[in-house]
Amino acid sequence: MEAGIKPLGREKVWLWILLAPTLFGLVFSAFGALLATLGLSFTEWDLFTSPKWVGFSNYITLFTDKRFLRALANTAQFAALYVPGVVIISLFVAVLMNRAIKGISLYRTMYYLPVVTSAVATALVWNMIYGKDTGVLNYILKQLGMQPVCWLCADRAMLSVVIVNIWGAIGEGMIIFLAGLTAIPKEYYEASEIDGAGRFQQFFRITLPLITPSIFFQTLISTINAFQAFDYIYMLTRRGQGDSSIPVVVFSIYRNAWHFNKYGVASAQAIELTLIVAALMAVYLWAEKKFVVYE
Amino acid sequence: MRKTALFLTLLLALSVILSACAGGAPTATPAQASPTSAPVEVTSPPSEGKIQLRMMMWGAPEELDIWKQIVADFQSANPNISVSVEVSEWESYWTKLKTLLAAGTPPDIFAIDAPYYLDYQTRGVLLNLQPYLDANPHVLDDVYPQTLKAYQTAEGYFGLPRDFQTIVVFYNKDMFDAAGIPYPSPDWTYDDFRATAKALTLDKDKDGVIDQYGYATDLWDMELFWSEAIWAFGGEIISPDHTKTLIGSPEARKAWQFIYDMMFVDKSMPDSTTAAQYGGDLFQAGKAAMTTIGHWAVPGYAEAGLNFDVVPMPVGPAGRATSVNSAGFVIAKATKYPDAAWKFLEFVISPPAQTRLAELGFACPVLKSVAESPAFLEQKIKINHKVFLDSLEFAHMKPVFKGYDEWASVIGDGMAPIWAGEEADLNAILDEIIPQADEVLQQYNP
Repeated sequence: MEAGIKPLGREKVWLWILLAPTLFGLVFSAFGALLATLGLSFTEWDLFTSPKWVGFSNYITLFTDKRFLRALANTAQFAALYVPGVVIISLFVAVLMNRAIKGISLYRTMYYLPVVTSAVATALVWNMIYGKDTGVLNYILKQLGMQPVCWLCADRAMLSVVIVNIWGAIGEGMIIFLAGLTAIPKEYYEASEIDGAGRFQQFFRITLPLITPSIFFQTLISTINAFQAFDYIYMLTRRGQGDSSIPVVVFSIYRNAWHFNKYGVASAQAIELTLIVAALMAVYLWAEKKFVVYE
Repeated sequence: MRKTALFLTLLLALSVILSACAGGAPTATPAQASPTSAPVEVTSPPSEGKIQLRMMMWGAPEELDIWKQIVADFQSANPNISVSVEVSEWESYWTKLKTLLAAGTPPDIFAIDAPYYLDYQTRGVLLNLQPYLDANPHVLDDVYPQTLKAYQTAEGYFGLPRDFQTIVVFYNKDMFDAAGIPYPSPDWTYDDFRATAKALTLDKDKDGVIDQYGYATDLWDMELFWSEAIWAFGGEIISPDHTKTLIGSPEARKAWQFIYDMMFVDKSMPDSTTAAQYGGDLFQAGKAAMTTIGHWAVPGYAEAGLNFDVVPMPVGPAGRATSVNSAGFVIAKATKYPDAAWKFLEFVISPPAQTRLAELGFACPVLKSVAESPAFLEQKIKINHKVFLDSLEFAHMKPVFKGYDEWASVIGDGMAPIWAGEEADLNAILDEIIPQADEVLQQYNP
């Protein structure tokens, strides 16, 4: 992970010209939207009449808004289960996929497929798997002589939904980890083999330290994804008018804006979500300095 | 510095080129050339003297065909006006509509659901139709008065109903026949209803999983069942001044208990978790013998091959009750052609257009003369269509007030865990959500 070749003189001009379209999009759409959201979060706005300045009141009510706090708790619980799940399982899969066996690219494609498949379509399939009376999973349980389980009922829905989200994200993590794994020089393994290291020792002493940059990156991305997760959760737990049995913060933002015409409140919630993610990123960057090994 | 200047010049040049490609004005000034204004919709200028109206509504694809015919009829009578119709699915319709209204480019005419009407009317985005109605006082003579109520405000009408929906009981004849149970009689009571549902709940293969439910519905919103039950048991939903939620009165609690007992004591009614496995509507899936729903469900049930008919809602301890709700049209205040838009609205509630809507079979026409004509009563799908009209006699209007969506969410979300099958303390939940619902009402009616 070096800085690469440094552009010189006239190359620098071209660098900027070629970057210009992307930068433009970023500045005007992403930053523009971010600034607008920040501005709106201090107003009361119903989209039709002009915004009213209300100072910090949208933020203050967030602390007593029961439904928002519940959504926040759900999001935190989701992230706490999802992030380690994705990182550990996709690393495991990547290690399995990192060898020269026949048809390896077929296996890799299979693990990657959920990433490129429509979440809405796969969530429908998962609905069939999780069904209480008609589901495949409960059918298997019954064949094994066990009691069927309500997978999407309140007490178990979070876990069931996290499993689907992890399943959908393994492919992406696998690609990141495969890139990290193939970058490790073979000599390290050959040398350790001569020294008599076993497979587990090789993994914990060589592989793991050398792919800490990938682990760091994957943790970061998964955390951001966890706080924005919506599609699978919506498809598996939706109820009337934008409600869900495990509403996460994104549900709350969407409903406050599009159902309740409270764009100021929705903006304040979005900003708070951004601040939480930013705070987590700060912790990660601090951890990066301590634990991540760059060659 | 010089490099930055060069960079900026090149950037400007680039954006001018880009906007020229996008079909903007050839003599674009740098201000117009900013990329945010680049994707200009290319619309051909309206030909001389021709008025172009844009109309938006939610609905099924089949509805678009009928509306195109209605528009064609209108245009042949008014050759100087052309109307374009856009039909979207329910959820995306409202998002699209709100965005267009906020941007100041709303469609000239758009569909509205009565409970949401005041959210728009009170925010000043709708055109007051009263001057037109004062000039044509007989326009509403033949319209069912129960459907007009929702659109009346202190300043007059800002919208008109186009069709209405009353809720009735649908029953699957094959399931009644198979169980040897007589079809429901029109004067049945809530006790009869409950007993019938219980008798039609079957576990055919005796595996402990119910294969056929007596009754199924969706309880998130009030319209399909719980508002009707509360009225029939003598309760009310909300105070007339829209400041108090009344669903916790002793009468209303009897209605809640009735629903709860059907689900958890008789088990003749599935919870929402069970229903979700079959796509939500168990009646349509052929897994429930009865449901309560409006006329919009008729084409879908017929298409699913069900052999069904309808009866009025049962009689409760306080009499018979059902819910009436109407979909209507409003005109945007920002329209450039209010007169032409009114002309179209007037056409929508005239016999030719209402007849087409009746034939479409999704809703009941608001014009009495059309509703009671063969166009509605003798549709292709042979059921007792008259039940929907007769139900108006004892129908309560689905409540219409500002903040409806948020209020309904507090109640819908609060009760949802019970209806999902997680047995909980009904009274405790009601005691918890009613003050929250009142808080919402206070926000909108300070």
